[in-house]
Amino acid sequence: MSKRIIQIDLNRVEGDLDFQLEIENGKVVDARCIGSMYRGFEQIMIGRKPKDSLVITPRICGICGTAQLNAAVLALEQLGGIPVPPAAIRIRNLCLMAETVQSDLRQSFLFFTADFCHPKYAGRAFYQQARSAFLPFQGSIYRDALEHSRHTVEIVALFGGQWPHSSYMLPGGVTTPADNRHIIDCLSILNKLTRWFEQRVIGIDLDAWLALASAEEFFNWLDAHPDSTVGLLTTMSRAIGLHNVGFGTPHMLSYGSYDDPADAGALPSQRKRLFRSGFLNGDTGGIEAFEQAGITEHVRYSWFQPYQGGRHPFKGQTIPDYQPHSDRYTWCKAPRYQDKVVQTGPLADALIDGEALICSLYQAEGGNAWLRQFARLRRTARLLRQMRETLHELAARPNDPHMIPPDRQDIPDGEGFGLVTAARGALGHWLQVTDGVVSRYQVVTPTAWNASPKDSEGRHGHWESSLLGLTVDNPDDPVEIGHIIRSHDPCLVCTVHVLDTGKRITLWP
Amino acid sequence: MTTLLWLQTGSCGGDTMSILCADSPSLEELVNDYGIEMLWQPSLSIEPARRLDAVVDAIIAGRQVLDILCVEGSIITGPHGSGMYDPYRGSSKMSLIRQLVEKAEYVVALGTCASYGGVHAAPPNPTDCLGLQFDKDSPGGLLPIEWRSRKGVPVINISGCPAHPNTMTKTLAMLASGLPVELDHVNRPKTFFNSTVHQGCTRNEYHEYDVEDTAFGGKACMFFNLGCQGPVTMATCNTELWNNRSSKTRAGVPCFGCTSPEFPLTRDLFRTEKIGTIPLHLPLGVERANYMAYKSLAHEAAPERVLNKTMDT
Repeated sequence: MSKRIIQIDLNRVEGDLDFQLEIENGKVVDARCIGSMYRGFEQIMIGRKPKDSLVITPRICGICGTAQLNAAVLALEQLGGIPVPPAAIRIRNLCLMAETVQSDLRQSFLFFTADFCHPKYAGRAFYQQARSAFLPFQGSIYRDALEHSRHTVEIVALFGGQWPHSSYMLPGGVTTPADNRHIIDCLSILNKLTRWFEQRVIGIDLDAWLALASAEEFFNWLDAHPDSTVGLLTTMSRAIGLHNVGFGTPHMLSYGSYDDPADAGALPSQRKRLFRSGFLNGDTGGIEAFEQAGITEHVRYSWFQPYQGGRHPFKGQTIPDYQPHSDRYTWCKAPRYQDKVVQTGPLADALIDGEALICSLYQAEGGNAWLRQFARLRRTARLLRQMRETLHELAARPNDPHMIPPDRQDIPDGEGFGLVTAARGALGHWLQVTDGVVSRYQVVTPTAWNASPKDSEGRHGHWESSLLGLTVDNPDDPVEIGHIIRSHDPCLVCTVHVLDTGKRITLWP
Repeated sequence: MTTLLWLQTGSCGGDTMSILCADSPSLEELVNDYGIEMLWQPSLSIEPARRLDAVVDAIIAGRQVLDILCVEGSIITGPHGSGMYDPYRGSSKMSLIRQLVEKAEYVVALGTCASYGGVHAAPPNPTDCLGLQFDKDSPGGLLPIEWRSRKGVPVINISGCPAHPNTMTKTLAMLASGLPVELDHVNRPKTFFNSTVHQGCTRNEYHEYDVEDTAFGGKACMFFNLGCQGPVTMATCNTELWNNRSSKTRAGVPCFGCTSPEFPLTRDLFRTEKIGTIPLHLPLGVERANYMAYKSLAHEAAPERVLNKTMDT
């Protein structure tokens, strides 16, 4: 018996997730990533007032609602040509950064590192240390991460009233100014978070750690700080070989992160971003300008009414057509950029932005599972510094308006899009307004890019391809697959799904 | 020890993210100090998903006691009543829930989705979503309205989109401690749902003197023009702050009535429907004629500092 199909249900991700793998002679030869739950947000938006998107669409996702809100408001502002003051852009950026830091801490220390406590590693030198740091509800870092992620989103609450799910970004700005009380409150939250990050997560001063610019400097730092949390995560990941697996597609996409307040007067799509956008062409290694017209979505292997090839979201169509016993297998569409399979997320963002350390590690070892996870924590460090700069900029301009009330209350007919970088990567909303109400609303989430099924050409999505060729020691307990999949920070907001065929396999004994 | 099983149905995961923000008590306290044993929590359990299957089988076979069943998310009944838009082990989550509720001492709906259907049930309700015991504000949920758990109580609805972090953890702590939880007319715990969102709003003095904003980004009240449903919505948002810091109305965001069974309303969510100059929907229990008289007097009595909006909120 050399060929078998296994089914993996994965928890400890944002939503649950299924994979079906075909294993031949110990190697993964086919992979199907299954988004099993359908909720129909794009249909719910049809016929509603355009601004209702600011209430409805954040509810797509409990962990990145701020990013959904920002994409929604940018689409409205793009459509209406509605200007925004610089202070509003800074406040939006600050809240987006806080949400991303929250998500990165939770993904890293509540979802990812728990796998190092797997009994499979009981004989490893790191095992006791892993349990004392990362065991759920008991490990020191697990508990710290619960506490600090909770405080981080207080920054969003100061401007939005609550996290998750608020609607404080409105066409023309935000609802609350950054007065001095808010700024000191935010700095106080940020100070405590930064101190913990320095003392426990990286073991040195933030600026000194951010100054590490090459793989060599990084490994020197690692030798000196093996007991820092990033040190533990790195040592454990590399001890089990995560730096050699989980590469996936070489093509990477980033919409860029955080509008530049200096470009507040421009349409959203014309603004520069603090962290650059682009497309890293894996065939040439070059970074090309990103153009949203190059996006299409395929449904050949998805449970939607079929159409030929791929369609741009402005021509997109979402009509459910559930066919569980066909060769179609997911509620995820297959987005492609310039007809290529791409990945998105913090690794893609850092490489396209040219972050020196991540680029150096990528040159040395490629886009592996450990680097993908590490890029997330590297981002946390960068955002801690960027949040402080943003607060100082706000404090230096106390009289800047936070809202320019739009000339007209209604959103005119037309079409617009809003592109942002959420914690998991490229997020876009495309809407069309006809006779004053929404006539089309299409959302392409980061996970749609990464978890995409095969497209019309039969090409696997990124997560699927990151598992192809992987050697599985024990098909009855393929723990290595859990590490790789969780390194992608899956967010399907969907639940366990089991096919009728195939042998179910668990990641634990 | 109080055993708790947490299932996600048609959900964004927002109630899980919300409860991670609880601090009085925190989720860790529920586990460490209130003796709650999490048999399963989809985002937090260290064991693989197979563990859920084993726990579910043991509960249904009567080998495992289930004190509290928490459901996060709308009950998806589509397509065509099959529930297969939200599958579980070749069947539907919907049918799993039907089996588990019969074994639970208490069933708790976390969030408006599980309570009443929520955002996924908004027109055209593409996946035929329901709440556990309600369809919006009417009977017709997954379970009959007269259904009772083994302890003899209906589904406890902790509504909100998401539910307030401390409202969830306090209710669970009460159940784990054997404290009584009295319910209102739509089965929400009265102690959290007997006052309005308006109560405690820092814009109240503006409201009191009829100083109403007409555009977003201001400091005054949003009830008359900007769609705020604070005076007609029951929740703790302004009496127990969110994330220990604020609330939507304090931050200048209208209350969208997300704890109400009808959430989200189909009308424009950022504009107040009015008869003349007065909102169509008045604060709970108020007579229109009296309210009109009160408002015209109130504006006359407004002090300069309120008229000039010198107070921050």
